[in-house]
Amino acid sequence: MSPGTPHADPARPAHRHRTRYLALLTAAAVALPLGLTACGGDDDKQSADPNRKIELQVFWWGGPARAENTQKVLDLYTQKHPNVTFKIEQQPNAGYFDKLATRAAGGNAPDIFQLDDGSLAEYAKRNVTLDLTKYVKNNKIDTKDIPKGLIDYGIVDGKNAGIAAAQNTPGMIYDKTVAQQYGLEEPKVGWSWEQMIAWGEQLSQKSGGQVQGIMDPSADYKALWLWLRQQDKELYTPDGKVAVSTEDVTRWFELWVDARKRKATPTADLIHTANTGDVSKQLVVTKQAGASFLWSNQLAELQKSTKNTLGVSAYPGDPKGQFARASLYWAGSRTTKEPDTVADVINFIVNDPDAAKIQGVERGLPSNLKNREIVAPTLSAPEKATVALESELNSKFGKAPPVPPKGHVKLRSELITAAETVQYGKATPQQAAEDFLAKAKAAVSG
Amino acid sequence: MAVSAAVGPGRAGSTGKARRARWREGPAGYVFLSPFLLGFMGITAIPMLYSLYLSFTNYELLGQTYDWVGLRNYRDLFTNDPQFWHAVQVTVLFAFVAVPLKLAAALGVAMLLNRERRGTGVLRGLFYLPSLIGGSVAVAIIWRAMFDRTGAFNSLLAVFGVEGKPWVNDPDWALETLMLLAIWQFGAPMVIFLAGLKQVPTELYEAAAVDGAGPWRRFRNITLPMLSPVIFFNLVLETINGFQGFTSAFVLSDGTGGPTDSTLMYSLRLYDQAFTEYKMAYASAMAWVFLLAIGLLTVLLFSTGRLWVHYADEEGA
Repeated sequence: MSPGTPHADPARPAHRHRTRYLALLTAAAVALPLGLTACGGDDDKQSADPNRKIELQVFWWGGPARAENTQKVLDLYTQKHPNVTFKIEQQPNAGYFDKLATRAAGGNAPDIFQLDDGSLAEYAKRNVTLDLTKYVKNNKIDTKDIPKGLIDYGIVDGKNAGIAAAQNTPGMIYDKTVAQQYGLEEPKVGWSWEQMIAWGEQLSQKSGGQVQGIMDPSADYKALWLWLRQQDKELYTPDGKVAVSTEDVTRWFELWVDARKRKATPTADLIHTANTGDVSKQLVVTKQAGASFLWSNQLAELQKSTKNTLGVSAYPGDPKGQFARASLYWAGSRTTKEPDTVADVINFIVNDPDAAKIQGVERGLPSNLKNREIVAPTLSAPEKATVALESELNSKFGKAPPVPPKGHVKLRSELITAAETVQYGKATPQQAAEDFLAKAKAAVSG
Repeated sequence: MAVSAAVGPGRAGSTGKARRARWREGPAGYVFLSPFLLGFMGITAIPMLYSLYLSFTNYELLGQTYDWVGLRNYRDLFTNDPQFWHAVQVTVLFAFVAVPLKLAAALGVAMLLNRERRGTGVLRGLFYLPSLIGGSVAVAIIWRAMFDRTGAFNSLLAVFGVEGKPWVNDPDWALETLMLLAIWQFGAPMVIFLAGLKQVPTELYEAAAVDGAGPWRRFRNITLPMLSPVIFFNLVLETINGFQGFTSAFVLSDGTGGPTDSTLMYSLRLYDQAFTEYKMAYASAMAWVFLLAIGLLTVLLFSTGRLWVHYADEEGA
């Protein structure tokens, strides 16, 4: 609120937004050439004094728990290397990529930053990330205890663009208390989609509509992707094009139109709230549905928001559709002045046993298998359930696909829009599928 | 200072002296202007021109290419982007419904508050308040909570036995909810209307009343014409504001323009192109089309304004 401006009118925020956008352009105009010249003469500085003072900027998104554990890990690094200090920036999910992109455009990206698989290819292809291949090869970043699939999932165009901070896999989080209350069996790994929909239908019936079945995951790209993989198809071709056909997407939407008719899924507006909303708006937490489709490592976080006991299982269908995935990556900036130190810090965060203990499974299972054992005894009950699920799935995981291509984020949001037009009855599955694919293909190719 | 000392006598002296004084006066003026000039050039003018240049290139936010592509971005915008036209449609609908209703509300309340009674001062303040806070993120969040399925508005409806809707989460009502939020902020034009109403000479009303004119006649034939410059001013200002609506749409839809693109305002689409898809050049083209469109609309308003805006001082001349 702006008490200082006597003539504050509704235009101000819009105007401010534009000013920011314009300011950004100048910043970009001024800073880009500087950034370009600055990164020209990097290599000759490497032989400098090993004890020189180094300050690295580190940037990530996440909640308070992550802020705390990452800060502690970095403090620990400073303890061991007193000449290296960190300037930390962190913020909630919203706005993170706006900020990162603006800074990168200004040639001013943080030395170390967090990415996910929606953004890795985007940043790697646009040459923002530091090529870590050299450090992986000469073991400055030690990968011998990290599953190959996880490391490969950080490779873009043959280069190690990001190092997996942790591993997770899609997880269906369900309400144990509600299942018990209405005398329903708990969902199990390997249940078919049909079984899961029937479960939702029964829950809806037995609760008299109090609990509206299960979340409709037709807007969830993970669900669509796994469903495709269960039929030996993929969302993307190996060279990063959209692989899914109109027929498949239509069938996918039809599956959930059918579930809707059986009252196995909630009303469209509730689904919409969950689709755009955060953890606290997930229907399994608000008790409006018996199951939500999320990530396996989110169980602990969700459990904090409800008194009912939650459980986690795989997504329905053959678990071969699931794959071990890097939940998040650590990446370096191509314009950093201290690439060696950046690599060393990333190595420390990912591999150091003490660092692992501090981090627990907040970002997902530790990438380093030895650290998984070290961390195991320190976990809370919901965290243990997550680990148990991933251990169970470990032998069943299918081969991990390549990192999603540039444009993946857009595909995700277009799927939400398309699925919602079906849920709100604004389009038939066929129309929505065609519309979705047209937009998704444009975003992924462009 | 020496400058101000030289200015005074300069006028009375010879022309050469005057010129010299003016010459000395110039730089000083620019020095005093410099805080504004630096800001204006640095934050507004240069970036704007730069964005005009960008709109003819293929620059992406994280890219390094600035290849000249001519009018391609503009051509794509008009011929190859259904979302663009959808956003235009949403924005025009929003502005054309919200702005007239907001002005009507502002004028109506201003006329009620124009009479001096006990408490009108407080009431004016209260009605003005939404204008101060209404554009903020916090109010948009509250709005979202109020017009949700389980929100306060539906609880109110339930008292009358009416079953509500999930307003902000219903594609048929989300834009209307946004319009309501815009209309609710009628305080700023209301204050301007109030000032305008104070300027209308009371003798006119008295004379009309003596001649037997009823309240409607007095409103039609005195208030409206006398107020027309103020109405015009508010109309231009609010139309421009209406088209630029961003914050509330962004917050109410989590930046997606949803549900199902029903609140995809032009500025939201622009932001999405620039910062989610990183297509900065394309977004720059969108911004310039937007600027031209609003400029054109303003010119249009001014040209129609001649037909109905009545300036009292012209009358005297």
